[in-house]
Amino acid sequence: MRLRFKLKTVFILYFTVSLLGLIYALMHLGKLHSLQGHTKKEPTKPHLPTIYVITPTYARLVQKAELTRLSQTFLHVPQLHWIVVEDSSQRTDLVSHFLEHSGLVFTHLHIPTPQDRKLQEGDPNWLKPRGVEQRNEGLRWLRENIWAGETAEGVVYFADDDNTYSLQLFEEMRWTQRVSVWPVGLVGGMRYEGPVVEQGRVVRFHTGWRPSRPFPLDMAGFATSLRLVLRNPEARFDGNSPMGFVESSFLQGLVTMEELEPKAEMCTKVLVWHTRTEKPKMKREEALQAQGLGSDSKVEV
Amino acid sequence: MSSPHPPPPPPRRCAVIRGLSPMVEMPKRRDILAIVLIVLPWTLLITVWHQSAITPLLTIRKDDGAEGRHETGQGSDSKEYCSSDKDIVEVVRTEYVYTRPPPWSDVLPTIHVVTPTYSRPVQKAELTRLANTFLHVPNLHWILVEDAQRRTPLVSRLLRETGLNYTHLNVETPRNYKLRGDARDPRIPRGTMQRNLALRWLRETFSPNSTQPGIVYFADDDNTYSLELFEEMRSTRKVSVWPVAFVGGLRYESPKVNAAGKVYGWKTVFDPHRPFAIDMAGFAVNLRLILYKPQAYFKLRGVKGGYQESSLLRELVTLNDLEPKAANCTKILVWHTRTEKPVLVNEGKKGFTDPNVEI
Repeated sequence: MRLRFKLKTVFILYFTVSLLGLIYALMHLGKLHSLQGHTKKEPTKPHLPTIYVITPTYARLVQKAELTRLSQTFLHVPQLHWIVVEDSSQRTDLVSHFLEHSGLVFTHLHIPTPQDRKLQEGDPNWLKPRGVEQRNEGLRWLRENIWAGETAEGVVYFADDDNTYSLQLFEEMRWTQRVSVWPVGLVGGMRYEGPVVEQGRVVRFHTGWRPSRPFPLDMAGFATSLRLVLRNPEARFDGNSPMGFVESSFLQGLVTMEELEPKAEMCTKVLVWHTRTEKPKMKREEALQAQGLGSDSKVEV
Repeated sequence: MSSPHPPPPPPRRCAVIRGLSPMVEMPKRRDILAIVLIVLPWTLLITVWHQSAITPLLTIRKDDGAEGRHETGQGSDSKEYCSSDKDIVEVVRTEYVYTRPPPWSDVLPTIHVVTPTYSRPVQKAELTRLANTFLHVPNLHWILVEDAQRRTPLVSRLLRETGLNYTHLNVETPRNYKLRGDARDPRIPRGTMQRNLALRWLRETFSPNSTQPGIVYFADDDNTYSLELFEEMRSTRKVSVWPVAFVGGLRYESPKVNAAGKVYGWKTVFDPHRPFAIDMAGFAVNLRLILYKPQAYFKLRGVKGGYQESSLLRELVTLNDLEPKAANCTKILVWHTRTEKPVLVNEGKKGFTDPNVEI
């Protein structure tokens, strides 16, 4: 009798202890999940339209720095697909390694600008439009690789590698139906340039330079829905268009001013800035290199 | 024992619980139930503890950039925990992408980033992209010091909206009216008073006896910082150093490190005989050192160009104590970029754009 009682107690005790331990462990696990904030569920937000960002880039001293800080912004944006197009006849190691380690979803393309369209040393940067072939190459890739099905949900944005983008901008553009627009800071010789909105529609453009252009917008000031891009395979940038008309050459066939969707609180907020980075002074480097004592070229800058 | 000896239990199936099942009449179902009830909690417990044992590792271990997400379909982040080390780090990275800033950790030293800033057209843009960088760094405390009489609404609002852990200070560099109207006192290098104010704030806020580990880094608002840099500086014991790109008229300037891993000189062209021929962005100081040497500040006046950093560092440390980072000073993790001043010709005298729109 005594033995029987003892075994039963042991069993019950053991069962109780196990159960308590399990409950404790489950609570601990629950605590961990809440600590980590958004769980794995967050990234699998269904039906968030993808933002395809097309960035032309070219090799120069500050290239890696520019791409680095650009990627740091993009890493915060869910469902972003970065299409980097190098102005080069082949993919460079610098950009390849950089993209592989960036943590972003990316496509790495390349196409060289024809010599007669390239800016020469000493040319002012407004002389010839830059990045035209590269952006068109990005569009070509999209048209060949993304299916134009009913569910083609996405938006295409042309982001140069030296501009500054706020995170809010990407959420503004994500639900573009045709073409959405917003102001851009520090461009056109002004504090900002942008559409003027009255009663929810764009009626004209606020710009200090050639307002007669069909779309006096900066490249960073609009985004196009993927559907529109895929349904209009002829729409591309025209490198031969006069200064400042490159954006218009793309948008003209796609949309009218009345159809534009104003974002950024009816185009009253600046969420993107047309910053430009100085060319670093290399006088001493050049002097050293003339002596054969230049800094180690194996160190990637 | 006077109890009747139980008859031999039924064959094999129940043999395992022969010793445990006390009651003779217990039917087989109950035996199996008993086995399940005994085994199940342990199985679940072990699974749960296995998972949770791995998770603390994830917060400490910083990915070294070896994992990248290649082109996949849409929203492909269905990676499970615990399949392999590589996968787990990827999951963490994905989670941190959308949680900003990263959760505060009790084990990582805090990086106090001191950034002097001043009002100009590109200010908001610079601070925005800087914030986008800092939002990736765990345990970062941003000390933003405005060169202004009052804390401006632009900066206050920006700091609040980022969600970062910050301290907002201000001190105005006195102007020298003898020169052109808006010129600051040319003898005080830009940002000095602001950095000194931050040092003073740190000394007033933290006591030398506190066990909170911290690192102090001076980050100007127009440079570019890689995320790896912050993890390199976190292990600073006294003062750590690394190369900086685009300074001194070179591709990069760097400390010279000998085979023993000690700094013995400076690879620069501009005055390499300075005590510390290094840029502001090229070193970090352990907070404890700042607190133990409360007299150490950046020298305000009479400082030759390029000697600002030395004016602080020589009060803190000797060349021998410097800790080289970035793979013994062979990798570039910070670039001294400068942003062009935008040409606002079309604003004209009266201003063309709405001044109420903040840029």
